[in-house]
Amino acid sequence: MLESELKEHNRFFLNMGPQHPSTHGVLLIVLEMEGEYVLDPQPVLGFIHRMHEKMGESRPCSSFMPNTARMDYVCALPYNHGYVSLIERKAGIEVPKRAEYIRVITSELNRVASHLLWLGAYLLDLGAFTPILYGFDDREHILDILESITGSRLTYCYYRFGGVYQDIDDKFIEATRAFVKRMRKRYAIYEKLVTKNIIFIKRTENIGIVSPDMALRYGMTGPNLRGSGIAYDVRKNEPYSVYPEFEFAIPVGEQGDCLDRYMVRIREIEQSLRIIEQALDRLPDGPVRSKVPKNIKLTPGDCNFAVEAARGELSYYLLGDGTSTPYRLKVRVPSYSNLSCLPELGRGILLPDLVSILGSFDLVIPEIDR
Amino acid sequence: MVKDTKDYKEDFLNQGFDATETAYDQRGYHLEVVLNVNQVRKFAQTAYELGFYLVFVTGFHVRPDEGHDTGNSGLEVVYQFARYDQPYRIKACVSVPNSLEVPSISDIYQGANWHERETRDFYGVVFGGHPNLNPLLLAEEDADFHPLLKEETNLKSLHEVSWPSEAPEVAKEGAEAETGQ
Repeated sequence: MLESELKEHNRFFLNMGPQHPSTHGVLLIVLEMEGEYVLDPQPVLGFIHRMHEKMGESRPCSSFMPNTARMDYVCALPYNHGYVSLIERKAGIEVPKRAEYIRVITSELNRVASHLLWLGAYLLDLGAFTPILYGFDDREHILDILESITGSRLTYCYYRFGGVYQDIDDKFIEATRAFVKRMRKRYAIYEKLVTKNIIFIKRTENIGIVSPDMALRYGMTGPNLRGSGIAYDVRKNEPYSVYPEFEFAIPVGEQGDCLDRYMVRIREIEQSLRIIEQALDRLPDGPVRSKVPKNIKLTPGDCNFAVEAARGELSYYLLGDGTSTPYRLKVRVPSYSNLSCLPELGRGILLPDLVSILGSFDLVIPEIDR
Repeated sequence: MVKDTKDYKEDFLNQGFDATETAYDQRGYHLEVVLNVNQVRKFAQTAYELGFYLVFVTGFHVRPDEGHDTGNSGLEVVYQFARYDQPYRIKACVSVPNSLEVPSISDIYQGANWHERETRDFYGVVFGGHPNLNPLLLAEEDADFHPLLKEETNLKSLHEVSWPSEAPEVAKEGAEAETGQ
Protein backbone atom coordinates (compact mmCIF):
# COMPACT_ATOMS: atom_id res chain seq x y z
CA MET A 1 0.00 0.00 0.00
CA LEU A 2 1.23 3.48 -0.84
CA GLU A 3 1.60 5.93 2.01
CA SER A 4 -1.19 8.15 0.70
CA GLU A 5 -3.51 5.15 0.41
CA LEU A 6 -2.62 4.13 3.93
CA LYS A 7 -3.57 7.59 5.15
CA GLU A 8 -6.85 7.41 3.29
CA HIS A 9 -7.44 4.00 4.80
CA ASN A 10 -7.05 5.29 8.34
CA ARG A 11 -9.61 8.07 7.90
CA PHE A 12 -13.11 7.73 9.21
CA PHE A 13 -16.12 9.84 10.05
CA LEU A 14 -17.46 10.28 13.54
CA ASN A 15 -20.82 11.78 14.40
CA MET A 16 -20.68 13.88 17.54
CA GLY A 17 -24.28 14.50 18.47
CA PRO A 18 -27.05 15.38 17.89
CA GLN A 19 -27.65 13.85 21.31
CA HIS A 20 -24.13 13.94 22.62
CA PRO A 21 -23.83 15.14 26.23
CA SER A 22 -21.06 17.58 25.42
CA THR A 23 -22.88 19.38 22.61
CA HIS A 24 -25.32 21.06 25.06
CA GLY A 25 -28.35 20.70 22.89
CA VAL A 26 -29.20 19.20 19.56
CA LEU A 27 -26.06 19.97 17.64
CA LEU A 28 -24.43 17.52 15.27
CA ILE A 29 -20.78 17.82 14.41
CA VAL A 30 -19.53 15.57 11.66
CA LEU A 31 -15.89 14.90 12.37
CA GLU A 32 -13.48 13.64 9.78
CA MET A 33 -10.92 11.80 11.87
CA GLU A 34 -7.54 10.26 11.49
CA GLY A 35 -6.96 8.27 14.62
CA GLU A 36 -7.45 10.57 17.60
CA TYR A 37 -6.95 13.67 15.46
CA VAL A 38 -9.75 15.77 14.02
CA LEU A 39 -9.14 16.73 10.40
CA ASP A 40 -12.34 18.56 9.62
CA PRO A 41 -15.15 19.29 12.08
CA GLN A 42 -18.33 20.44 10.33
CA PRO A 43 -21.27 21.53 12.50
CA VAL A 44 -24.69 20.58 11.15
CA LEU A 45 -27.33 23.02 12.36
CA GLY A 46 -31.07 23.36 12.29
CA PHE A 47 -32.35 20.45 14.37
CA ILE A 48 -34.52 22.79 16.43
CA HIS A 49 -35.03 25.51 13.87
CA ARG A 50 -38.36 27.23 14.58
CA MET A 51 -38.17 30.20 12.19
CA HIS A 52 -38.58 32.88 14.83
CA GLU A 53 -37.91 35.48 12.15
CA LYS A 54 -41.00 34.41 10.20
CA MET A 55 -43.06 34.52 13.38
CA GLY A 56 -41.67 38.03 13.95
CA GLU A 57 -43.13 39.30 10.69
CA SER A 58 -46.47 37.54 10.93
CA ARG A 59 -47.86 39.08 14.14
CA PRO A 60 -48.02 42.48 15.84
CA CYS A 61 -44.72 43.42 17.42
CA SER A 62 -46.03 43.05 20.98
CA SER A 63 -47.00 39.42 20.36
CA PHE A 64 -43.42 38.52 19.56
CA MET A 65 -42.24 39.21 23.13
CA PRO A 66 -42.52 35.59 24.38
CA ASN A 67 -40.48 34.39 21.40
CA THR A 68 -37.46 36.44 22.43
CA ALA A 69 -36.97 34.37 25.58
CA ARG A 70 -37.12 31.12 23.66
CA MET A 71 -34.01 31.67 21.63
CA ASP A 72 -31.39 31.89 24.36
CA TYR A 73 -33.29 30.23 27.18
CA VAL A 74 -30.29 30.36 29.53
CA CYS A 75 -30.01 34.13 29.46
CA ALA A 76 -33.40 35.34 28.28
CA LEU A 77 -33.69 38.78 29.83
CA PRO A 78 -31.09 40.48 27.60
CA TYR A 79 -33.12 39.10 24.68
CA ASN A 80 -36.20 40.77 26.18
CA HIS A 81 -34.12 43.88 26.65
CA GLY A 82 -32.88 44.06 23.09
CA TYR A 83 -36.32 43.60 21.64
CA VAL A 84 -38.17 46.15 23.78
CA SER A 85 -35.35 48.65 23.23
CA LEU A 86 -35.58 48.11 19.48
CA ILE A 87 -39.30 48.86 19.39
CA GLU A 88 -38.80 51.78 21.78
CA ARG A 89 -36.13 53.24 19.50
CA LYS A 90 -38.30 52.72 16.45
CA ALA A 91 -41.46 54.15 17.95
CA GLY A 92 -39.73 56.82 20.06
CA ILE A 93 -41.06 55.52 23.39
CA GLU A 94 -39.62 56.98 26.60
CA VAL A 95 -38.78 54.60 29.43
CA PRO A 96 -38.94 55.70 33.10
CA LYS A 97 -35.59 55.62 34.81
CA ARG A 98 -36.68 53.21 37.51
CA ALA A 99 -37.72 50.74 34.85
CA GLU A 100 -34.31 50.94 33.19
CA TYR A 101 -32.64 50.30 36.54
CA ILE A 102 -34.83 47.26 37.12
CA ARG A 103 -34.01 46.02 33.63
CA VAL A 104 -30.30 46.31 34.33
CA ILE A 105 -30.54 44.57 37.71
CA THR A 106 -32.55 41.64 36.36
CA SER A 107 -30.46 41.35 33.18
CA GLU A 108 -27.26 41.20 35.18
CA LEU A 109 -28.71 38.62 37.56
CA ASN A 110 -29.61 36.58 34.52
CA ARG A 111 -26.09 36.96 33.15
CA VAL A 112 -24.62 35.64 36.39
CA ALA A 113 -27.04 32.69 36.28
CA SER A 114 -25.98 31.97 32.71
CA HIS A 115 -22.28 32.05 33.57
CA LEU A 116 -22.87 29.75 36.54
CA LEU A 117 -24.69 27.25 34.35
CA TRP A 118 -21.88 27.41 31.84
CA LEU A 119 -19.29 26.91 34.56
CA GLY A 120 -20.91 23.72 35.78
CA ALA A 121 -21.60 22.36 32.31
CA TYR A 122 -18.12 23.11 31.00
CA LEU A 123 -16.42 21.30 33.85
CA LEU A 124 -18.81 18.42 33.41
CA ASP A 125 -17.57 18.22 29.81
CA LEU A 126 -14.04 18.05 31.08
CA GLY A 127 -14.92 15.23 33.44
CA ALA A 128 -15.30 17.10 36.73
CA PHE A 129 -18.65 16.32 38.26
CA THR A 130 -18.69 18.36 41.47
CA PRO A 131 -18.62 22.00 40.20
CA ILE A 132 -22.03 21.72 38.53
CA LEU A 133 -23.58 21.01 41.92
CA TYR A 134 -22.10 24.20 43.34
CA GLY A 135 -22.93 26.19 40.23
CA PHE A 136 -26.55 25.05 40.23
CA ASP A 137 -26.86 25.73 43.94
CA ASP A 138 -25.92 29.38 43.37
CA ARG A 139 -27.96 29.64 40.20
CA GLU A 140 -31.01 28.35 42.04
CA HIS A 141 -30.95 31.43 44.27
CA ILE A 142 -31.05 33.70 41.22
CA LEU A 143 -33.90 31.74 39.65
CA ASP A 144 -35.89 32.05 42.88
CA ILE A 145 -35.29 35.80 42.98
CA LEU A 146 -36.27 36.24 39.33
CA GLU A 147 -39.28 33.97 39.67
CA SER A 148 -40.63 36.12 42.50
CA ILE A 149 -40.73 39.15 40.25
CA THR A 150 -41.16 37.85 36.69
CA GLY A 151 -43.29 34.80 37.31
CA SER A 152 -41.04 32.44 35.37
CA ARG A 153 -37.84 30.62 36.07
CA LEU A 154 -36.37 30.38 32.60
CA THR A 155 -38.29 31.85 29.66
CA TYR A 156 -38.95 35.31 31.02
CA CYS A 157 -41.34 37.73 29.42
CA TYR A 158 -40.93 40.49 31.98
CA TYR A 159 -40.06 43.63 30.04
CA ARG A 160 -42.72 45.63 28.28
CA PHE A 161 -42.53 48.42 25.73
CA GLY A 162 -42.00 51.50 27.86
CA GLY A 163 -41.00 49.72 31.07
CA VAL A 164 -41.36 46.44 32.92
CA TYR A 165 -44.38 44.31 33.83
CA GLN A 166 -44.37 45.09 37.55
CA ASP A 167 -42.34 46.97 40.15
CA ILE A 168 -39.83 45.23 42.37
CA ASP A 169 -40.53 45.06 46.09
CA ASP A 170 -38.40 45.20 49.25
CA LYS A 171 -38.30 41.43 49.39
CA PHE A 172 -36.68 41.33 45.97
CA ILE A 173 -34.10 43.94 46.94
CA GLU A 174 -33.29 42.14 50.17
CA ALA A 175 -32.92 38.78 48.46
CA THR A 176 -30.73 40.26 45.73
CA ARG A 177 -28.43 41.93 48.26
CA ALA A 178 -28.20 38.67 50.17
CA PHE A 179 -27.31 36.85 46.97
CA VAL A 180 -24.56 39.32 46.06
CA LYS A 181 -23.07 38.86 49.51
CA ARG A 182 -23.30 35.09 49.31
CA MET A 183 -21.88 34.91 45.79
CA ARG A 184 -18.77 36.86 46.79
CA LYS A 185 -18.03 34.28 49.44
CA ARG A 186 -18.26 31.50 46.90
CA TYR A 187 -15.38 32.70 44.71
CA ALA A 188 -12.90 31.12 47.08
CA ILE A 189 -14.62 27.76 46.69
CA TYR A 190 -14.55 27.94 42.89
CA GLU A 191 -10.95 29.03 42.95
CA LYS A 192 -9.96 26.10 45.13
CA LEU A 193 -12.12 23.61 43.31
CA VAL A 194 -11.50 24.59 39.70
CA THR A 195 -9.17 27.44 38.80
CA LYS A 196 -6.08 25.99 40.39
CA ASN A 197 -6.85 22.40 39.53
CA ILE A 198 -3.93 20.98 37.57
CA ILE A 199 -6.09 18.68 35.42
CA PHE A 200 -8.33 21.59 34.51
CA ILE A 201 -5.35 23.75 33.55
CA LYS A 202 -3.86 20.97 31.41
CA ARG A 203 -7.14 20.60 29.57
CA THR A 204 -7.57 24.31 28.85
CA GLU A 205 -4.23 26.11 28.70
CA ASN A 206 -2.98 26.69 25.13
CA ILE A 207 -5.98 24.81 23.76
CA GLY A 208 -8.13 26.38 21.05
CA ILE A 209 -6.29 29.65 20.62
CA VAL A 210 -8.42 32.25 18.84
CA SER A 211 -6.27 35.05 17.45
CA PRO A 212 -7.70 38.60 17.26
CA ASP A 213 -7.66 38.45 13.45
CA MET A 214 -9.53 35.17 13.44
CA ALA A 215 -12.11 36.58 15.83
CA LEU A 216 -12.61 39.53 13.49
CA ARG A 217 -12.96 37.39 10.37
CA TYR A 218 -15.70 35.34 12.02
CA GLY A 219 -17.39 38.24 13.82
CA MET A 220 -16.94 36.71 17.26
CA THR A 221 -18.24 38.67 20.23
CA GLY A 222 -18.75 38.32 23.96
CA PRO A 223 -16.45 36.50 26.39
CA ASN A 224 -15.09 34.40 23.51
CA LEU A 225 -13.75 37.55 21.90
CA ARG A 226 -12.62 39.16 25.14
CA GLY A 227 -10.60 36.05 25.90
CA SER A 228 -8.47 37.01 22.89
CA GLY A 229 -7.64 40.34 24.49
CA ILE A 230 -10.08 42.61 22.68
CA ALA A 231 -12.05 44.69 25.18
CA TYR A 232 -15.28 44.84 23.22
CA ASP A 233 -18.50 44.92 25.18
CA VAL A 234 -21.68 46.48 23.77
CA ARG A 235 -22.51 47.78 27.26
CA LYS A 236 -19.42 50.01 27.06
CA ASN A 237 -18.83 50.37 23.36
CA GLU A 238 -22.34 51.31 22.32
CA PRO A 239 -23.91 52.13 25.69
CA TYR A 240 -27.62 51.49 25.98
CA SER A 241 -30.14 51.68 28.83
CA VAL A 242 -28.51 53.15 31.98
CA TYR A 243 -25.23 51.24 31.74
CA PRO A 244 -23.15 54.45 31.36
CA GLU A 245 -24.13 55.34 34.95
CA PHE A 246 -22.33 52.37 36.47
CA GLU A 247 -18.70 51.64 37.03
CA PHE A 248 -17.54 48.28 35.82
CA ALA A 249 -14.54 46.85 34.02
CA ILE A 250 -14.30 44.65 30.95
CA PRO A 251 -12.17 41.63 31.85
CA VAL A 252 -9.97 40.46 28.98
CA GLY A 253 -7.70 37.49 28.45
CA GLU A 254 -4.26 37.40 26.92
CA GLN A 255 -3.87 34.77 24.26
CA GLY A 256 -7.41 33.55 23.61
CA ASP A 257 -7.20 29.93 24.76
CA CYS A 258 -9.89 28.03 26.66
CA LEU A 259 -8.41 29.08 30.00
CA ASP A 260 -8.64 32.77 29.06
CA ARG A 261 -12.28 32.37 28.09
CA TYR A 262 -12.89 30.67 31.42
CA MET A 263 -11.15 33.44 33.38
CA VAL A 264 -13.05 36.16 31.53
CA ARG A 265 -16.42 34.67 32.49
CA ILE A 266 -15.42 34.12 36.10
CA ARG A 267 -14.29 37.73 36.40
CA GLU A 268 -17.41 38.95 34.61
CA ILE A 269 -19.55 37.52 37.41
CA GLU A 270 -17.91 39.97 39.81
CA GLN A 271 -18.47 42.87 37.40
CA SER A 272 -22.15 41.99 37.10
CA LEU A 273 -22.42 41.89 40.90
CA ARG A 274 -20.85 45.34 41.02
CA ILE A 275 -23.43 46.69 38.58
CA ILE A 276 -26.28 45.12 40.56
CA GLU A 277 -25.00 46.64 43.81
CA GLN A 278 -24.65 50.12 42.32
CA ALA A 279 -28.09 49.90 40.73
CA LEU A 280 -29.69 48.84 44.01
CA ASP A 281 -27.96 51.66 45.87
CA ARG A 282 -29.12 54.31 43.45
CA LEU A 283 -32.50 52.87 42.49
CA PRO A 284 -34.68 55.92 41.69
CA ASP A 285 -38.34 56.22 42.65
CA GLY A 286 -41.09 56.67 40.16
CA PRO A 287 -43.26 54.74 37.74
CA VAL A 288 -42.01 51.56 36.06
CA ARG A 289 -44.05 51.83 32.91
CA SER A 290 -44.86 54.74 30.65
CA LYS A 291 -48.09 55.14 28.73
CA VAL A 292 -47.77 53.33 25.44
CA PRO A 293 -50.44 53.04 22.73
CA LYS A 294 -51.89 49.55 22.47
CA ASN A 295 -51.18 49.35 18.77
CA ILE A 296 -47.66 50.55 18.20
CA LYS A 297 -47.17 51.75 14.66
CA LEU A 298 -43.75 51.00 13.20
CA THR A 299 -42.91 53.84 10.84
CA PRO A 300 -41.36 52.99 7.45
CA GLY A 301 -37.62 52.43 7.59
CA ASP A 302 -35.13 50.13 9.23
CA CYS A 303 -33.76 50.18 12.73
CA ASN A 304 -31.11 48.24 14.60
CA PHE A 305 -30.52 47.65 18.28
CA ALA A 306 -27.59 45.79 19.78
CA VAL A 307 -27.24 44.59 23.36
CA GLU A 308 -24.69 42.49 25.20
CA ALA A 309 -26.17 39.07 25.92
CA ALA A 310 -24.25 36.56 28.04
CA ARG A 311 -22.66 35.07 24.94
CA GLY A 312 -21.95 38.25 23.04
CA GLU A 313 -23.55 40.79 20.80
CA LEU A 314 -27.23 40.35 20.10
CA SER A 315 -28.61 42.54 17.31
CA TYR A 316 -32.20 42.98 16.32
CA TYR A 317 -32.73 44.48 12.87
CA LEU A 318 -36.22 45.59 11.99
CA LEU A 319 -37.91 46.90 8.88
CA GLY A 320 -41.10 48.86 9.51
CA ASP A 321 -43.81 49.52 6.94
CA GLY A 322 -46.23 51.78 8.83
CA THR A 323 -48.26 48.96 10.42
CA SER A 324 -47.81 47.39 13.85
CA THR A 325 -46.36 44.22 12.33
CA PRO A 326 -42.66 44.30 11.40
CA TYR A 327 -42.05 43.88 7.68
CA ARG A 328 -38.84 42.06 8.47
CA LEU A 329 -37.23 41.13 11.77
CA LYS A 330 -33.71 39.78 11.78
CA VAL A 331 -32.17 38.43 14.96
CA ARG A 332 -28.40 38.29 14.99
CA VAL A 333 -27.38 35.85 17.70
CA PRO A 334 -23.87 35.69 19.15
CA SER A 335 -23.39 31.90 19.32
CA TYR A 336 -24.01 31.57 15.58
CA SER A 337 -20.96 33.62 14.65
CA ASN A 338 -18.93 32.24 17.56
CA LEU A 339 -19.44 28.63 16.51
CA SER A 340 -18.79 29.33 12.82
CA CYS A 341 -15.04 29.40 13.45
CA LEU A 342 -15.01 25.76 14.58
CA PRO A 343 -14.04 24.22 11.20
CA GLU A 344 -10.91 26.39 11.18
CA LEU A 345 -10.15 26.23 14.89
CA GLY A 346 -10.71 22.51 15.21
CA ARG A 347 -8.49 21.41 12.34
CA GLY A 348 -5.72 19.05 13.36
CA ILE A 349 -6.46 18.92 17.07
CA LEU A 350 -7.13 16.02 19.39
CA LEU A 351 -10.73 14.96 19.90
CA PRO A 352 -10.73 15.67 23.68
CA ASP A 353 -9.47 19.18 22.92
CA LEU A 354 -12.42 19.72 20.59
CA VAL A 355 -14.74 18.89 23.49
CA SER A 356 -12.88 21.42 25.62
CA ILE A 357 -13.15 24.11 22.92
CA LEU A 358 -16.87 23.51 22.37
CA GLY A 359 -17.51 23.81 26.09
CA SER A 360 -15.45 26.96 26.40
CA PHE A 361 -17.56 28.62 23.67
CA ASP A 362 -20.64 28.51 25.92
CA LEU A 363 -23.00 27.56 23.11
CA VAL A 364 -26.76 27.63 23.38
CA ILE A 365 -28.14 25.68 20.46
CA PRO A 366 -31.75 27.01 20.36
CA GLU A 367 -30.19 30.42 19.91
CA ILE A 368 -28.11 29.25 16.96
CA ASP A 369 -30.99 27.42 15.27
CA ARG A 370 -33.59 30.05 16.11
CA MET B 1 -17.31 56.76 28.61
CA VAL B 2 -17.57 56.54 24.83
CA LYS B 3 -14.16 56.32 23.26
CA ASP B 4 -12.86 58.73 20.63
CA THR B 5 -14.70 58.16 17.44
CA LYS B 6 -13.46 58.34 13.91
CA ASP B 7 -15.83 58.88 11.04
CA TYR B 8 -15.24 56.36 8.28
CA LYS B 9 -17.52 58.00 5.74
CA GLU B 10 -14.63 59.58 3.85
CA ASP B 11 -12.76 56.28 3.63
CA PHE B 12 -15.67 54.67 1.86
CA LEU B 13 -16.46 57.69 -0.32
CA ASN B 14 -12.84 57.77 -1.49
CA GLN B 15 -13.17 54.17 -2.63
CA GLY B 16 -16.19 55.15 -4.73
CA PHE B 17 -19.00 53.85 -2.53
CA ASP B 18 -22.33 55.60 -2.11
CA ALA B 19 -22.14 56.24 1.64
CA THR B 20 -24.57 58.40 3.62
CA GLU B 21 -24.46 59.33 7.27
CA THR B 22 -27.58 58.40 9.19
CA ALA B 23 -29.20 59.44 12.45
CA TYR B 24 -27.94 56.88 14.94
CA ASP B 25 -30.60 57.71 17.54
CA GLN B 26 -33.34 56.68 15.16
CA ARG B 27 -31.76 53.88 13.21
CA GLY B 28 -29.09 52.32 15.38
CA TYR B 29 -26.35 52.51 12.77
CA HIS B 30 -24.08 55.31 11.64
CA LEU B 31 -23.48 54.85 7.95
CA GLU B 32 -25.61 53.55 5.13
CA VAL B 33 -24.00 52.29 1.97
CA VAL B 34 -25.91 51.39 -1.18
CA LEU B 35 -23.94 48.97 -3.32
CA ASN B 36 -24.39 47.47 -6.72
CA VAL B 37 -23.63 43.82 -7.26
CA ASN B 38 -20.16 44.45 -8.70
CA GLN B 39 -19.07 46.43 -5.66
CA VAL B 40 -19.88 43.88 -2.99
CA ARG B 41 -16.49 42.17 -2.84
CA LYS B 42 -14.54 45.41 -3.05
CA PHE B 43 -16.65 46.82 -0.25
CA ALA B 44 -16.06 43.80 1.97
CA GLN B 45 -12.33 44.00 1.29
CA THR B 46 -12.28 47.70 2.17
CA ALA B 47 -14.22 47.08 5.37
CA TYR B 48 -11.88 44.26 6.32
CA GLU B 49 -8.80 46.40 5.73
CA LEU B 50 -10.29 49.19 7.84
CA GLY B 51 -10.79 46.71 10.69
CA PHE B 52 -14.54 46.15 10.67
CA TYR B 53 -16.08 42.85 11.69
CA LEU B 54 -19.12 41.30 10.09
CA VAL B 55 -22.23 41.43 12.25
CA PHE B 56 -24.62 39.65 9.93
CA VAL B 57 -25.78 39.11 6.37
CA THR B 58 -29.47 38.84 5.67
CA GLY B 59 -32.08 39.86 3.14
CA PHE B 60 -35.60 41.07 2.64
CA HIS B 61 -38.21 40.80 -0.07
CA VAL B 62 -40.00 43.74 -1.69
CA ARG B 63 -42.08 44.26 -4.82
CA PRO B 64 -39.63 44.25 -7.70
CA ASP B 65 -41.24 46.62 -10.18
CA GLU B 66 -40.55 50.21 -9.13
CA GLY B 67 -37.52 52.29 -8.39
CA HIS B 68 -34.03 50.99 -8.17
CA ASP B 69 -31.97 49.33 -10.86
CA THR B 70 -33.69 47.76 -13.78
CA GLY B 71 -34.04 44.04 -13.69
CA ASN B 72 -33.92 43.46 -9.97
CA SER B 73 -35.61 40.50 -8.41
CA GLY B 74 -37.18 42.34 -5.48
CA LEU B 75 -34.70 40.76 -3.12
CA GLU B 76 -32.29 42.90 -1.16
CA VAL B 77 -29.26 41.63 0.69
CA VAL B 78 -28.25 43.55 3.81
CA TYR B 79 -24.79 43.44 5.36
CA GLN B 80 -23.98 44.92 8.71
CA PHE B 81 -20.46 45.71 9.85
CA ALA B 82 -19.26 47.17 13.15
CA ARG B 83 -16.05 47.88 15.01
CA TYR B 84 -14.51 46.46 18.15
CA ASP B 85 -12.74 49.70 19.13
CA GLN B 86 -15.46 52.32 18.81
CA PRO B 87 -19.18 52.59 18.26
CA TYR B 88 -19.55 52.60 14.50
CA ARG B 89 -22.05 50.50 12.62
CA ILE B 90 -22.49 50.28 8.87
CA LYS B 91 -25.43 48.96 6.97
CA ALA B 92 -24.73 48.06 3.37
CA CYS B 93 -27.42 46.84 1.05
CA VAL B 94 -27.44 45.52 -2.47
CA SER B 95 -30.31 44.77 -4.85
CA VAL B 96 -30.22 41.22 -6.10
CA PRO B 97 -30.40 40.98 -9.91
CA ASN B 98 -32.80 38.65 -11.73
CA SER B 99 -30.17 35.95 -11.90
CA LEU B 100 -30.39 35.87 -8.07
CA GLU B 101 -26.62 35.87 -7.96
CA VAL B 102 -24.57 38.00 -5.57
CA PRO B 103 -20.83 37.44 -5.13
CA SER B 104 -19.89 35.68 -1.93
CA ILE B 105 -17.64 37.44 0.58
CA SER B 106 -16.95 34.28 2.54
CA ASP B 107 -13.28 34.21 1.51
CA ILE B 108 -12.78 37.73 2.93
CA TYR B 109 -14.93 37.28 6.01
CA GLN B 110 -15.05 33.57 6.74
CA GLY B 111 -17.89 34.28 9.15
CA ALA B 112 -20.06 35.20 6.15
CA ASN B 113 -20.07 31.54 5.14
CA TRP B 114 -22.97 30.57 7.40
CA HIS B 115 -24.78 33.88 7.09
CA GLU B 116 -24.82 33.49 3.31
CA ARG B 117 -26.03 29.91 3.53
CA GLU B 118 -28.80 31.07 5.83
CA THR B 119 -29.78 33.84 3.38
CA ARG B 120 -29.89 31.27 0.59
CA ASP B 121 -32.11 29.07 2.78
CA PHE B 122 -34.55 31.87 3.53
CA TYR B 123 -34.61 33.76 0.21
CA GLY B 124 -32.93 31.71 -2.47
CA VAL B 125 -30.15 34.21 -3.14
CA VAL B 126 -27.24 32.42 -4.82
CA PHE B 127 -23.87 33.54 -3.54
CA GLY B 128 -21.41 33.09 -6.39
CA GLY B 129 -18.12 31.54 -5.37
CA HIS B 130 -19.40 30.21 -2.06
CA PRO B 131 -17.59 26.99 -1.14
CA ASN B 132 -20.60 25.09 0.17
CA LEU B 133 -24.02 26.57 -0.50
CA ASN B 134 -26.08 23.72 0.96
CA PRO B 135 -29.03 24.20 3.31
CA LEU B 136 -27.83 25.09 6.79
CA LEU B 137 -30.80 25.78 9.04
CA LEU B 138 -33.40 24.17 6.82
CA ALA B 139 -33.53 20.49 5.92
CA GLU B 140 -31.75 19.13 2.85
CA GLU B 141 -35.04 18.22 1.18
CA ASP B 142 -36.28 21.81 1.58
CA ALA B 143 -33.54 23.23 -0.60
CA ASP B 144 -36.09 24.82 -2.95
CA PHE B 145 -38.37 26.13 -0.23
CA HIS B 146 -37.66 29.70 0.87
CA PRO B 147 -39.84 30.56 3.87
CA LEU B 148 -39.19 34.30 4.04
CA LEU B 149 -40.31 35.07 0.50
CA LYS B 150 -43.55 36.98 0.85
CA GLU B 151 -46.76 36.31 -0.98
CA GLU B 152 -47.68 38.72 -3.75
CA THR B 153 -50.47 40.28 -1.65
CA ASN B 154 -48.14 41.03 1.26
CA LEU B 155 -45.37 42.58 -0.79
CA LYS B 156 -44.57 46.25 -0.36
CA SER B 157 -42.35 48.32 -2.55
CA LEU B 158 -38.91 49.37 -1.38
CA HIS B 159 -39.84 53.00 -0.69
CA GLU B 160 -42.71 51.89 1.58
CA VAL B 161 -40.23 50.22 3.92
CA SER B 162 -37.49 52.85 3.67
CA TRP B 163 -36.91 55.99 5.69
CA PRO B 164 -38.55 59.01 4.05
CA SER B 165 -35.18 60.78 3.93
CA GLU B 166 -34.14 58.41 1.17
CA ALA B 167 -36.49 60.34 -1.12
CA PRO B 168 -35.08 63.05 -3.45
CA GLU B 169 -32.87 65.77 -2.01
CA VAL B 170 -35.58 68.49 -1.83
CA ALA B 171 -37.93 66.58 0.45
CA LYS B 172 -35.09 65.42 2.67
CA GLU B 173 -35.01 68.01 5.45
CA GLY B 174 -38.75 68.21 5.98
CA ALA B 175 -39.08 64.45 6.08
CA GLU B 176 -36.31 64.03 8.61
CA ALA B 177 -37.82 66.61 10.93
CA GLU B 178 -41.10 64.73 10.79
CA THR B 179 -39.65 61.38 11.78
CA GLY B 180 -37.72 62.99 14.60
CA GLN B 181 -40.88 63.71 16.55
